[in-house]
Amino acid sequence: MGGVGAMVKGASYSYAVFCGSFLRSPRLSFSIHNKKKLLKFRSFSSKSTCSSLQPPDVSRLAKTAQISLTPDEVEEFAPKIQQVIDWFGQLQDVDLQSVEPSIRAETENNLRDNVPETFDHRDAMIGAVPSYEEPYIKVPRVLSMD
Amino acid sequence: MILTLQTPRPLSRLPRFLPFSTNASITLNQSQPATCTSPPPPHSQILSTRHSLLSRQFSAADLLRSHLNRLNLTEPHLRSFLHLPDPSDLLAQADSLDRRIAAGEDVGPLAGVLVAVKDNICTADMPSTGGSRILEGYRPPFDATAVKRAKELGAIVVGKTNLDEFGMGSTTEGSAFQVTANPWDLSRVPGGSSGGSAAAVSARQCVVSLGSDTGGSVRQPASFCGVVGLKPTYGRVSRFGLMAYASSLDTIGCFGSSVADAGILLHAISGHDRFDATSSNQDVPNFLSHFVSASSFESKPLKGLRVGLIRETIGDGVDAGVISAIHSAASHFEELGCSVNEVSLPSFSLGLPAYYILASSESSSNLSRYDGIRYGNQVYADELDSLYGSSRANGFGSEVKMRILMGTYALSAGYYDAYYKRAQQVRTIIRNSFTEALNQNDILISPAAPSPAYKIGEKKNDPLAMYAGDIMTVNVNLAGLPALVLPCGFVEGGTAGLPIGLQMIGAAFGEEELLRVGHIFEQTLENCRFVPPIIAEDIAS
Repeated sequence: MGGVGAMVKGASYSYAVFCGSFLRSPRLSFSIHNKKKLLKFRSFSSKSTCSSLQPPDVSRLAKTAQISLTPDEVEEFAPKIQQVIDWFGQLQDVDLQSVEPSIRAETENNLRDNVPETFDHRDAMIGAVPSYEEPYIKVPRVLSMD
Repeated sequence: MILTLQTPRPLSRLPRFLPFSTNASITLNQSQPATCTSPPPPHSQILSTRHSLLSRQFSAADLLRSHLNRLNLTEPHLRSFLHLPDPSDLLAQADSLDRRIAAGEDVGPLAGVLVAVKDNICTADMPSTGGSRILEGYRPPFDATAVKRAKELGAIVVGKTNLDEFGMGSTTEGSAFQVTANPWDLSRVPGGSSGGSAAAVSARQCVVSLGSDTGGSVRQPASFCGVVGLKPTYGRVSRFGLMAYASSLDTIGCFGSSVADAGILLHAISGHDRFDATSSNQDVPNFLSHFVSASSFESKPLKGLRVGLIRETIGDGVDAGVISAIHSAASHFEELGCSVNEVSLPSFSLGLPAYYILASSESSSNLSRYDGIRYGNQVYADELDSLYGSSRANGFGSEVKMRILMGTYALSAGYYDAYYKRAQQVRTIIRNSFTEALNQNDILISPAAPSPAYKIGEKKNDPLAMYAGDIMTVNVNLAGLPALVLPCGFVEGGTAGLPIGLQMIGAAFGEEELLRVGHIFEQTLENCRFVPPIIAEDIAS
């Protein structure tokens, strides 16, 4: 039977508690063996994230990502991005020695035969390109980088 | 218990929502009596539709017209859809089906079933925008494999639904076009990113719908809208035609008003696809055999099933009403013969930052294809880099821009080890912890979200507060496991309460077991009928 819980007095309260508990340093409940390793590791690690990592330079990142941000957008995004990157930093405190990285969950070998084939809808896709001049897609000039 | 008052609807009677009824208006009910009579929970709209069509009780065209009537009345309030085709196209499909039925021809298992499709899933005959201005007006030249398979089995695609742009968000407020409302309370969000697909099923604008789930984007809206949401195992359903957000996490999922309907749709779209190298060769079992009537259940139909309640999901920061609903669900499992134990998943809370690192990083790569050259909207410049920069700046919304920038940072030269690689290592830890827990338990349960639906605008300016709401769902995507969310109770709010969803997590490729258990749980859940007030009168059953 579904429950009618106590009225939540204001979503902001529960989210403050919630953010606090999940977004502070993670609750780490590894096995005893890992706990010992972890405690040893933590006694040498600094509180902040790796000092060799520069904080995000939003203007430079935008250039790399090919998105022309306005100065207002840079000013608006920078603190939010900084906040999230800082939050990412909690992974620095975790002992991940000898843990293999997983590319994804399942790894079946599903490669098809190495034989080229033409996609059925190729013509329609090419036809939709606005500036196609067989066999090229025409684009504006590229300036040399400074 | 605050509930809508419903009268029972036997399957053999014509549904009242056909156009023959005189009451064509929808009133927004202001108050509902707090009693509950207990009509039988919905068995399967798809199966009862099939029965009615084949026995000529009503026609596919009639069914379509009554749904379109309800859709037209509710859509100004809900705004679930970004695109609705010309009704005459849909009627032509329904008429053609009716002719084939009259001629005694075989029709597929989804014949006449109205399916809505999330707008990040490609449909050749309708625009597919991904909820983004950069693809406004874009028409793909092909159907996604999931859409193609549903259509081959007789489904009628009734429209494209609203979403957070490119799947990035948990409220559907991130759409470039419109905000979808929750049918249970129009001042609240339907959840995200598949909010439109969830709202459309919840308000019975369609029968079932397709969504996508990368970090919970099917399961959380299912919980917020009081419908069933099913996320398959990664690789169970082809991702071909799903606009890629995070390729190692994306899945296409199903919404239905019952476990059986979500399962029947999943069965239709599952299986290996040569166009998706990550799609699995595993056989797709016949889920349908489990969707039997409750009258055939034994007295303890789930006897011996070991259910693990994830301890980390019922503690600090979770609404008291949600915890109460989950404990009630656990009691219900015990009544059905299960043994329910608490289980702890080590490193549970690490999943959230790991997920956002992986998702932002992969999305920064996947969204680099939107350059305004081959497709999508272009802002012309006479120099190529400026063209890219302006087209993308103009076409992408703020959340998408921020995630691309965060992902670009995390993948920058020298930072890969600190972020992306560490997140992949956390993925391994989380996979292993689920594997261990699923060795000792047959299924794991948790809430689908820490709270009921938020108010519109509540989470808009605080990214971390919004990300925090995904804590129940992201680990399942990291582990690639299947999960089923079904409504299990209510908390106070809105005019008739706000629904709460129970999440059930299974072993890899264990959808059959999840559906079998979910169906039994749903069919034996007393005193709960999940029909939102906006359509309660219209449904009248």
